[in-house]
Amino acid sequence: MASLDRTARSFLLSELVGGFLLTLKYMFKPKVTVNYPYEKGPLSPRFRGEHALRRYPNGEERCIACKLCEAICPAQAITIEAEPRDDGSRRTTRYDIDMTKCIYCGFCQEACPVDAIVEGPNFEFSTETREELMYNKDKLLANGDRWEPMLAANLHADAPYR
Amino acid sequence: MTADLIHFFTHNWLGQAIVILAQCLAVTIPLLVAVAYMTYVDRKVWASIQLRRGPNVVGPFGLLQPLADGLKLLLKETIVPSSANGVLFIIAPMIAFMTALIAWAVVPFDDGWVIADINVGILYLFAISSLGVYGIIIAGWASNSKYAFLGALRSAAQMVSYEVSIGFVLITVLLCVGSLNLSKVVLAQSGWFFNWFWLPLLPMFVIFFVSALAETSRTPFDLPMSEAELVQGFQTEYSSMPFALFFLGEYANMILLSALCAVLFLGGWLSPIPYAPFTWVPGVVWFALKIAFLLFVFSWTKGTLPRYRYDQLMRLGWKVFLPVSLAWVVITAAVLQFGGWVPKL
Amino acid sequence: MPKIKIDGVEMEVPAGITILQACELAGLEIPRFCYHERLSIAGNCRMCLVEVKPGPPKPQASCALPVADKQEIFTTTPMVQKARKGVMEFLLINHPLDCPICDQGGECDLQDQAMGYGFDRSRFHENKRAVPDKELGPLVKTSMNRCIHCTRCIRFATEVAGVEELGATGRGESMEVTTYVEHALSTELSGNLVDLCPVGALTSKPYAFEARSWELTKTESIDVLDALGSNIRIDTRGAQVMRVLPRMDDDINEEWISDKTRHAIDGLRYQRLDRPYVRKAGKLVEASWDEAFGTIAEKLGKLEGGKIAAIAGDQCDAESMVALKDLMAALGSPSVDCRQDGAKLDGPRGSYIFNPGIRGIDQADAILLVGTNPRLEAPVLNARIRKRYLHGGRTAIGSIGPVADLTYPVERLGAGPATLAELVEGKLGFFEKLKAAKNPLIIVGMGALAREDGAAVLALARDLADKLGAVRDDWNGFAVLHTAAARVGGLDLGLVPGPGGRDVEGILAGCEKGEIAAVYLLAADEIDAKRLGKAFVIYQGHHGDAGAHRADVILPGAAYTEKPGTYVNTEGRVQLAFRAAYPPGDAREDWAILRALSERLGKTLPYDTLDQVRSRLVAVNRTFAAIDQQAAGHWGSFGTPGKPSDQQFVSPIRNFYMTCPISRSSRTMAECTASRAQLMAAE
Repeated sequence: MASLDRTARSFLLSELVGGFLLTLKYMFKPKVTVNYPYEKGPLSPRFRGEHALRRYPNGEERCIACKLCEAICPAQAITIEAEPRDDGSRRTTRYDIDMTKCIYCGFCQEACPVDAIVEGPNFEFSTETREELMYNKDKLLANGDRWEPMLAANLHADAPYR
Repeated sequence: MTADLIHFFTHNWLGQAIVILAQCLAVTIPLLVAVAYMTYVDRKVWASIQLRRGPNVVGPFGLLQPLADGLKLLLKETIVPSSANGVLFIIAPMIAFMTALIAWAVVPFDDGWVIADINVGILYLFAISSLGVYGIIIAGWASNSKYAFLGALRSAAQMVSYEVSIGFVLITVLLCVGSLNLSKVVLAQSGWFFNWFWLPLLPMFVIFFVSALAETSRTPFDLPMSEAELVQGFQTEYSSMPFALFFLGEYANMILLSALCAVLFLGGWLSPIPYAPFTWVPGVVWFALKIAFLLFVFSWTKGTLPRYRYDQLMRLGWKVFLPVSLAWVVITAAVLQFGGWVPKL
Repeated sequence: MPKIKIDGVEMEVPAGITILQACELAGLEIPRFCYHERLSIAGNCRMCLVEVKPGPPKPQASCALPVADKQEIFTTTPMVQKARKGVMEFLLINHPLDCPICDQGGECDLQDQAMGYGFDRSRFHENKRAVPDKELGPLVKTSMNRCIHCTRCIRFATEVAGVEELGATGRGESMEVTTYVEHALSTELSGNLVDLCPVGALTSKPYAFEARSWELTKTESIDVLDALGSNIRIDTRGAQVMRVLPRMDDDINEEWISDKTRHAIDGLRYQRLDRPYVRKAGKLVEASWDEAFGTIAEKLGKLEGGKIAAIAGDQCDAESMVALKDLMAALGSPSVDCRQDGAKLDGPRGSYIFNPGIRGIDQADAILLVGTNPRLEAPVLNARIRKRYLHGGRTAIGSIGPVADLTYPVERLGAGPATLAELVEGKLGFFEKLKAAKNPLIIVGMGALAREDGAAVLALARDLADKLGAVRDDWNGFAVLHTAAARVGGLDLGLVPGPGGRDVEGILAGCEKGEIAAVYLLAADEIDAKRLGKAFVIYQGHHGDAGAHRADVILPGAAYTEKPGTYVNTEGRVQLAFRAAYPPGDAREDWAILRALSERLGKTLPYDTLDQVRSRLVAVNRTFAAIDQQAAGHWGSFGTPGKPSDQQFVSPIRNFYMTCPISRSSRTMAECTASRAQLMAAE
């Protein structure tokens, strides 16, 4: 009896028709995707996007060339060179991030004792050439200047949980 | 003057050539546009089923997406693998594309709207669609790649298998019509939409449609080019325009089989209700609508069903469709014979 | 041998050692800041507290407590733990939290021990102490806020370096380590202060902020800036040598190195020869190896062997010198010399090495310095003599030669060979002191030998040694102090003129007269290049110094950090150096250049790999087989008896900081020179 039932079902294509109806129904459901370039999803304050080097409010760069980010970077994407600045303070002469190597793990910002290197909310930094993804210190500082209000707000929002 | 022109276009060889060329263009250009937009519709339908939006950036509602894709393919570099047989490698996509186009010569778009109204239309179609597999076999061999070769072998085996049942399906229709001329097939179905062959030959209609899926390597029978195992099968080594030719040929074949399905089972250009105002609508519109519906079902199928395993595909072709269609030929013949419905010629 | 129990394990230890040393013998590490093996015990950091029974019921500083029989020592009890944690918390009260900008970060004793005994937050809410930084010269950077008052630096300067310039003022929180009147340290060993400092209070100025310890690749090597062959560790980052640190070797440098060894390395970055050059129309133009070899082959091919000569420089590895010797032999030239300064040394091995070994200084009980200023020629050796002076019951030390402050009292006997002759005759009182000594030591410097009458002086010194009975089976007190790292190796390999050959003076004279047509300078820069006359000069070396300026063809070689090499130090100890970085540009290892050139000249040398060259070294002289060992020198007759001139001995080194192409190119060394000049002027 069961086999007869199964044969009948298979010849009458009932499962097939059921499946087609299901997909047809879904065709008219509202879309779940956002219309990306025009709408964007919400971002957590912990979102790890494009890197930035921050400054103090007086314009002094925060980075003190301790190289902890370079040491912890699992992808070895960060290269730092340092020397004493004219005023004797410890500063980087080179701070490069190879964004093609970076895996956006956020260890660098965890390691930073002065909140200088951070991963900001920006994730739209695709480029047309590879070279443009080799970020240098100027680029990172410019990022910091550009995103500072959001960076500061994100750090503030996340501070109670650190 | 007018008579001269008519004479020029009907008797002068040059005039006839111009007419034929115009007819070819009149079929080919809408066809290629249809192919282009078929890709767009495909993507939109799949997107809707998956609760996505589909292409929506290039042009309004993403309508220019097919053009952008075409342009991209056109501008890309044609890569011929160093170990490939260069000549055959280039010829293969041409064969595939051309066979998909020349089949359209016998398809009637409306009463009398057919380039070659030959008496053996169905046989011609059958022959041409069998030729299409050569393009694929050659592509698979000439690529000198194991993926391409496996894909081509699968494709050939699959086409051969399903052409058998398609053949039997056609025979049932022929029995009912009594002619191999496609226009006559359509005219034999005149009347209400339930007079069309889809209802009396419903199992054959289903088998034909499923076989059409297999013939065009569409889901759930897309084994020859399954991305997951064969990385696009015989197309693995193709890029740029040769790839585009395969792609166009494939979609043209899909439209062709939809058209054939419409002619054989859905009354071709006939309107579903044989009374005004429906009969005011030109036949070619009804024909296009029917093709569009079938193409939608193609996309819908792809959005619904997963891929078959290869042994399942073969089992379905040889152990289900072949016996069933064979049986249906006998049943149809018997019913026609003993019901006294043998068509008069 | 007292029997003690450490953490329940009974053991017997030598009498007189401290509990900390006993614990080390037992394999336990006691945390410490102020205690250092080579310095006196201060006992002021209190980090090494342990529990000792019998004794007062409180923790005791293990570094300052001698072991006694039947003592029970506990290093892990709660009392000890609590005491160490307390000490650490006190130390951290005033220590700034600036590890991220501190150069000691990553190799800091305080950091390491804070991981073990530190508390993760501070209970000290008052302001931290602030101390003004001190200026200690161009090599030592200070950050006195970080100082934990261990006084290691004070003890090192006072005891080892022998300059009583550092001290502590104030008590408790007001204590400051200072020079009181601000001035640069006047010692040649100031770099060691940086190594000794357990925190980041004293850091290296030239290396400031340049690299982190974890970024560096560490290579064990041998120093060539003086003839001591100090064991060093070369730290590189990428292709660049970032710093040099001492390696422990009690036979040679203990754990000190001189400032030149440590800081001249920035000279490796400047003035480098990184591609071959060929002189065309009076100007040196860049060329390919092929072109350079072609020029040489064209020139040398036409010359007979007698018109070709070669001079090996002061920092060459033995491999390149043996290749040079073999090449010259193949070309038929007997004129090869490794003694650029003209030292009259070519006798048996005993005549040109520091026979008692540097360690032998510790046994000497009377020392005579002849024509040498060890403080400039080998500061680490000088510290060793000072150590002998301090620990050997005020050992009698006499000097014939330049007047100098050697950091220990020296009885100045005279200035020239005449005084030496008098001493040999026993006319001076110091002779009796030497005679009375069990192990008299005569150190003869290059100031006495690198002169016209060097052979006569050498003969005098030999006579003195014989007369004093300084050469016995159990003691050989005749010691030659070289200034060139390659010298002993060169003499061992026989890089001295063969029959009919010319020495350096002869080669230069020959050039002036046109008798020598081609000279091969293997990194030889200490000759008077003007005297090369019209000779065709091939210079192979690593720096664009005197030799390269005069050269007709320059072949870029490798500096000592850039090639694996064998060096023999002044005591005749064969040591291996390893490659820390690659030579810049097209430069290559020196022996390989000579090997390639030999093929071009049609006299292919029979070795293709470093191992084969080293086999050749052993074939030439068996001593090269005994790595890191001092083979005894053969004692025989040497020197030429004669009447020496009455010219005074002068040390060959006038400016300690600039003695070779590397140190002459170094900016740090230039700063040191300026600083020292300023210091001298102030005095």
